[in-house]
Amino acid sequence: MDELDGDLQHDLERIEIKLLLEGIYRQYGYDFRNYTYSSIRRRIWHRIRIEKLNTISGLQEKVLHDPKMMEKLFADFSINVTEMFRDPRFFLTFRKKIIPLLRNEPIIRIWHAGCSTGQEVFSMAILLHEEGLLHKSRLYGTDMNESVLKKAKRGSFPIEKMQLYTKNYMQAGGTTAFSEYYTVKNGMVQFEPFLMDNMVFAQHNLVTDGSFNEFQIIICRNVMIYFNEPLQNHVHGLIYESLCTNGFLGLGNKEGVVFTTHASCYEEMDGTEKFYRKIK
Amino acid sequence: MRYKTILITGFSSMVVLMFVLLAILSSIHANLSENITEIVDDRYMKVKLASEIENQVNRMSGLLTNIVLEESQANIQKEKESFKKAAYGVKAAMDSLAQSVNLQESMKILETTGYLFESYEEKSALALASAEEGQKAEAKQLIVLETRVIRDQLLRSVEDLKQVQEMLLQEAYTRTNDQYQYIQTISTIFIVSGLVFGVLVAVWTIRNMGYRLKRITSVISQVAFRTQENLPRIQMDTKDEIGDIARAFNEMAESLENHAHQEKEYKQAMRDHSWLKTQVLDVTSSCQGIQDINQLAQTLVNKITPLVNAQYAVLYVRDGQADSQRLFKAGTYGYDAEEMQVKTIEFGEGLVGQSALENKAIELSHVPDHYIQVGSGLGHAKPAELTIMPISHEGHVLGVLELATFLSYSPLQKEFLQEILRDIGTVMNSIYIHMQVSNLLKESQTLTEELQSQSEELQLQQEELRSINEKLEDQYKNAETKAKELEKAKGELERNAVQIEQASRYKSEFLANMSHELRTPLNSLLILAQILAENKDKNLTPRQVEFATTILKSGNNLLNLINDILDLSKIESGKMEIVISKVAIRDMVSYAKQHFQPIALQKGLDFKVTMSDGVPEEIETDEQRLQQILTNLLSNACKFTKQGSVQVDISMKQTDLEAASIVFAVKDTGIGISPEKQEIIFDAFQQADGTTSRKFGGTGLGLSISREMANLLGGYIHVDSEEGVGSTFTLYLPLEHVAESVVDQTFAYLEVAATASGSPEIVAVTEEDEGLKGKKALVVDDDMRNIFALTAALEERKMQVIFAENGREGIQALEEHADVDIVLMDIMMPEMDGYEAIEKIRSNPDWQQLPIIALTAKAMKYDREKCMEAGASDYISKPVNMEQLMSLMRVWLYG
Repeated sequence: MDELDGDLQHDLERIEIKLLLEGIYRQYGYDFRNYTYSSIRRRIWHRIRIEKLNTISGLQEKVLHDPKMMEKLFADFSINVTEMFRDPRFFLTFRKKIIPLLRNEPIIRIWHAGCSTGQEVFSMAILLHEEGLLHKSRLYGTDMNESVLKKAKRGSFPIEKMQLYTKNYMQAGGTTAFSEYYTVKNGMVQFEPFLMDNMVFAQHNLVTDGSFNEFQIIICRNVMIYFNEPLQNHVHGLIYESLCTNGFLGLGNKEGVVFTTHASCYEEMDGTEKFYRKIK
Repeated sequence: MRYKTILITGFSSMVVLMFVLLAILSSIHANLSENITEIVDDRYMKVKLASEIENQVNRMSGLLTNIVLEESQANIQKEKESFKKAAYGVKAAMDSLAQSVNLQESMKILETTGYLFESYEEKSALALASAEEGQKAEAKQLIVLETRVIRDQLLRSVEDLKQVQEMLLQEAYTRTNDQYQYIQTISTIFIVSGLVFGVLVAVWTIRNMGYRLKRITSVISQVAFRTQENLPRIQMDTKDEIGDIARAFNEMAESLENHAHQEKEYKQAMRDHSWLKTQVLDVTSSCQGIQDINQLAQTLVNKITPLVNAQYAVLYVRDGQADSQRLFKAGTYGYDAEEMQVKTIEFGEGLVGQSALENKAIELSHVPDHYIQVGSGLGHAKPAELTIMPISHEGHVLGVLELATFLSYSPLQKEFLQEILRDIGTVMNSIYIHMQVSNLLKESQTLTEELQSQSEELQLQQEELRSINEKLEDQYKNAETKAKELEKAKGELERNAVQIEQASRYKSEFLANMSHELRTPLNSLLILAQILAENKDKNLTPRQVEFATTILKSGNNLLNLINDILDLSKIESGKMEIVISKVAIRDMVSYAKQHFQPIALQKGLDFKVTMSDGVPEEIETDEQRLQQILTNLLSNACKFTKQGSVQVDISMKQTDLEAASIVFAVKDTGIGISPEKQEIIFDAFQQADGTTSRKFGGTGLGLSISREMANLLGGYIHVDSEEGVGSTFTLYLPLEHVAESVVDQTFAYLEVAATASGSPEIVAVTEEDEGLKGKKALVVDDDMRNIFALTAALEERKMQVIFAENGREGIQALEEHADVDIVLMDIMMPEMDGYEAIEKIRSNPDWQQLPIIALTAKAMKYDREKCMEAGASDYISKPVNMEQLMSLMRVWLYG
């Protein structure tokens, strides 16, 4: 009986979540319908607990009638986990394997899709600066969440992660002292303004928006892990469209193109760090 | 008849003839030899015996004569003897003859001879006897008359006998001769007839054999060895050897024909096999690289159907899982979608399902009329044959192929189907396995991604929790500390204070430098002025000497002022050094008395030094600085007191808050200071009244310097004053000098005190310095300039600094000061360099997390990596940018 009840509840939960996401889409235009079910479910329950509600339907009522609740839920859905030089080997590989192939480009356009608070974009800017390529690079950081972009635009990050960032920076093959790039003011780390000269932060939703430029490099790490297979394929289509021939795609270290519809369009650049080159 | 028989018969008959001839010849020969023996042995012997007789008789007659004639008795006797011998010989010969003579005539003659001889003997015997009796004449008579007659008769008879025998000899010769003739004849006949027979046999045999062998040869020569299928046969039914050859040839021809036939069949089989293999290979190779089951199915039907001349084909495959019992249509050929609606088929359902269930092919040779129709644009017809074949791998059905054709399949096509289905089974199986693996991989990819997203969410939640915590903490702090709220209210003032403080610091630094530069030329100036004022050469007018003296006096004043400024700025810029030693209080008292008693006496003031009980003999402090403070306070007291007294009270102060301290209270009865001016007086260049300076002289720096020095010594100065009544300046000093921490405590005390009293003069601690303030840094560098610069900069930010000049000392310092928060480590040092020192530090488990910042003059990448390898937390290059260093230290001192 318990098992049956469990199953029934499961089904009910599914229905409620589907209704909620459909409602959000119709009312606000945010499309979370193709996010991974398990993740979206956890986020929803997270919000329900905070709001001291009991059911998803209860949350649905609040979300649909109160845009502020939607904002909160929206913030819950966008998981803004990032750090500077996250997975240092990724940046080290980029430095060693990709940079040499970019030196002769007249201009280097890089898109950080789902850049969150921008740490990754700043990391890239530092790396390009050290390789003498920053002056001819344009870094585009996009995220669906505008509030995180505001933080990114300031170029100042909380101090508490800086020890980790310093370590990452070194492991990523940094060529100078990390402290060259920042000053600490009022408990915040302000990065040098010159890093931001060629940086653009803009709101962009991978699910609903289209391609906006052609890039030599697109970095989209740990974004699609929240998407189900059809949506992953859709986003891969968007990325493919936005990538110039022989352009590079960087994914999170748990991701890959192998099972996507665009698997055959890329060749692997590195076995462990997920860099792919568009070959057709 | 066989040649063998013929030849044996022919030759053996000739042999027989020869034998017969031999027998005849040998019998004739025996006959001949008998005749000859007879002639030689018998006749000859008989003739010889007859001759013997003749001879003996003749001898006897001779002897007889002799005897008769002989006179001597002895000779007679001798003759007689010989006579008897000869008689005996005649008798023996006659006996032998008698024995061998067989012819009638001869026997008669012999008998007559016998008689004659007997009578001869008788007469002879008479003759002899007469001879012996001497009657010789009678004996002669007898011999001549009688014995000679008988002898002659006898001899004639013997002659007869000889003649008979010779006649017989003649006869035997004749007979032998006849026989020889006979032999010749017989031999000739036999030889001639034998030769004739032999020739006949040979001729016949040769002719017969030649003819038949020619026939065989002609047949054999007809055989064309290229076409071995229809060989000619030799028509011959004889049972002889050539017949055998013919038969053998016929057999050979037959087996050759068979062989040729078999070879043809074999070649055909080979061709079929090769076609089969080629087609199978073609189909399987076109399947290579296909990883989608539908694509495979479509490729297969497209390839296979035309190969077997079929017009319709559907390939059903098992869906997805290996244990599924359902087939779905995956590939079609000549398929009319309207007619066949079935999309999936359960195992056992219909013929296709049945075939799958049993893993057995089903063939329908008579397809019912409306079973299926194979159509084109022009028309349609029902197929003749329908075949349903399962595709399996290791007995496991993976799919079913349904084929329909207007014709029927050749055995080769059937074999091809069987073969290809077997291979397809393997291919399909590997695709299924590939699909399974790929599904599993996909699943694991999804799970990995899910894990990653969970970990990110967790990270996010952690951060949220932390920020909530921090917020709570902040709120708690806010509620807890009134002071902070007050501080907020006074924000503006504080910022001003900071600016002022900063301005003053800059000024101090400037002055410290300037004063130093000023002193040198001023000293030269003073020395020259003094030389002039002394006027040793006596060549100056008194007025000129007065000028020089004025220069000297003013110059000295200026020098004092500069020294004070220098002291103050040294203190303010943190460059004042203190030397701690044991200082006897008694010495201080005598010093004060010695210096200020005379001044007090001069001004008509009372001067007293008192000491309460419990004051220790000696304390630990910088003697020179203490003297300076006391001098300053006392000279101020003397300066601002016109009448009354100046008094120094030395006592002890004991509180719960802090350690015991010694108290020097300098009391005067001078002009006093208004409460609002009491703080200002400690600021540089401030005196209670702007005009004071003019009235009382002095630089106005004394109190500032004293207070700063008191701070440096770990103490402080407190003022109590009433305008017009007098002032008490109290110096509190710790009994023991405890590095900077005391200063800090003192500061904290001051701060609290200041806050409590609402004084605006406290040094504002900016939020920026919060991270550094009170932290203890160990600077390890062998370059004193660096140590000095770093120490100054760090102390300015209220940090405590200890230093060491090489790695070994650095480690020692760490061991002595367990509370070091951060280490700044130079790399290039004597004795133990920075790498080694960092490694040593890291090898101690207590210092694993201690932030160590490497200072390196080299900007090489290798150098930097070496620092990191050794265990440095971060690094900064020399010359050190202070702003950068502070940011970096804030990062590493966070938390």
